[in-house]
Amino acid sequence: MQAAPNRGDAVKYAFIWPAFLIVLVVTLFPLIYALTVSFQAVRVVPPLPPRFVGFENYETILSSARFWGSMWTTTIIVVVSVVFQYVLGFALALALHHNVRGADLYRVTFLLPMFLAPVCVALIARMIFHPYLGPVNDALDAMGFDYVPFLTEAWLAIGVLIVVETWQWTPFVMLLMLAGLQSLPEEVFEAARVDNVPAWRRFVDITFPMLLPLSVAVIFIRLIEGFKVIDTVFVLTGGGPGTATETLTLFAYNEGFKKFNLGLTSALSFTFLIVVIVSGTVYLLLAQRLLRRYA
Amino acid sequence: MAEQGWKRIGVGLTLVWFFICVFPLYFVFVTAFKPPIAVSQGPTYIPFVDFQPTLQAFRDAFSGLRGDFYGPIVSSLSISFVATVLSVFLGTMAAYALVRFEFRVKLLAGIAFAVVSIGGFVLLEGVLAMSVPTALGIVLVASLVVSMAANRLPLPGPALGNRDITFWFVSQRIFPPIVAAFALFLLYAELGRAGLPLLDTFAGMVLAYIAFGLPFAVWLMRDFLEAVPIEVEEAALVDDIGRMRIFFQIVLPMARPGLIATSMVVLAFIWNEFLFALLLTSGQWQTLPILLAGQNSSRGDEWWAIAVATLVTIIPMIIVATILGRMMRSGLLSGSIK
Repeated sequence: MQAAPNRGDAVKYAFIWPAFLIVLVVTLFPLIYALTVSFQAVRVVPPLPPRFVGFENYETILSSARFWGSMWTTTIIVVVSVVFQYVLGFALALALHHNVRGADLYRVTFLLPMFLAPVCVALIARMIFHPYLGPVNDALDAMGFDYVPFLTEAWLAIGVLIVVETWQWTPFVMLLMLAGLQSLPEEVFEAARVDNVPAWRRFVDITFPMLLPLSVAVIFIRLIEGFKVIDTVFVLTGGGPGTATETLTLFAYNEGFKKFNLGLTSALSFTFLIVVIVSGTVYLLLAQRLLRRYA
Repeated sequence: MAEQGWKRIGVGLTLVWFFICVFPLYFVFVTAFKPPIAVSQGPTYIPFVDFQPTLQAFRDAFSGLRGDFYGPIVSSLSISFVATVLSVFLGTMAAYALVRFEFRVKLLAGIAFAVVSIGGFVLLEGVLAMSVPTALGIVLVASLVVSMAANRLPLPGPALGNRDITFWFVSQRIFPPIVAAFALFLLYAELGRAGLPLLDTFAGMVLAYIAFGLPFAVWLMRDFLEAVPIEVEEAALVDDIGRMRIFFQIVLPMARPGLIATSMVVLAFIWNEFLFALLLTSGQWQTLPILLAGQNSSRGDEWWAIAVATLVTIIPMIIVATILGRMMRSGLLSGSIK
């Protein structure tokens, strides 16, 4: 903070208050309302006056197999796809950093997927993975394999969702890792090169440890963002077959907007919030340990 | 020798990934020009060889033959444009305050805020049976007054500084959006019953999206504004030019590349946003992602129609990605990772 500390300047409030108020009114205050609703039984059709039920909604959720199922599905999709995103994104960033020919063209193309609406990506994936009319099965057929029912078989559908998430978000990892690579001091690598340290040793001993804090942050962002996934699933499988690919957000949406069970949905979104906060904290604690060992 | 090997792996990897990135886009692009028969008889790839391209799908879509197409385009354009401008503007102001001034909020004052707001709401709405909007309004004012007064008292305990306030803004992104979106839906519904329609309106969507974009705007603009040299501003202060004028006439022009980049990022997020639009609109102000999601179930295998709608949604974002890609080359974004 290079700012001169002029604490008395009242104009600073004029700068920060509008943004502060909007977040307060649009994000935090509705949360307070939803928090109280989560302890009530509310029926919309037919309308019944809200009734305080304590932790009943939360108990219903925790004993619901569908909740744990969607939790498990979300975790698998997010963890596996983030591993792929990180490995691929880092590898691509390294390749671009070392000036593969045509890097300029690649840069824009590689960025593209993360700017497309997930709904569009899911619609395209639906075409690509269509059992009879899609190019993937066309290619498999040409290689002599049978048609694969990608979207109607539980594990395959989860696999497709992982592929789609990886396709869309590897660019994000690549972008940040590339920026990290460009900010590393050139001298260290020069010295290592003079000493004839082989390329993979340079990576393992210098590049990777130096980028570890950034890696921790990038993976954290992707995990948090990944947990929110709904649009891709909504379009690609609708949660099916059955509820095999239902993610947490989709589950909450289905409860709230198909059954109009407002109390339960509020409780569900707060359970979701607690899950995110707890797992985020655990991740950061583990990451801190890892960083300390390397530092 | 080994260096050569790695180089080759790099070239191979980028080529493969290039194909993986481009092929789906190519496929949807050509599909938009396909006649139905080129879709229903298995995949076709090369126009003029595999099939005879036609503009029929575009004509169908834009003639409104298959449902309103202009409506969602207009809503998407107007909502995301207005929301992006406002959110980047307000975010930049907040970021400027966080970079140039020092804020101290006592932790106890913050806790007082939480206690008064939650406790007050439960009391007013639950016990005194007030309507939700009235109760929230009263609680908002009361808790702000209490916590601001508390902040002036010589309270013990730690104080939160600028970093914490920035984190508070950014932490809105950690919330699963279903929590915020669903809560906002409930509140909008209540306000609608009280005579202020916000569900499925332009104002309601823009308001939601300003809050949605603010975390990005504050976070990115803080880094860009930190890079703006303070000397010019100090000189202007000596000349007794007001802060507001300094901000509008000196800081904003100097931060222009940052403003453009931030606007592009925020625009992309708002343009592509699905969940808020799904919950808060029902017809008139439906945005393109919602139209697209509906296409899937209503159109089935009419890929040419889906491809046209997809292309219309994608093209603005291709422009955005190109602009950002150019900026990235000039090293603009490398500063914002810290």
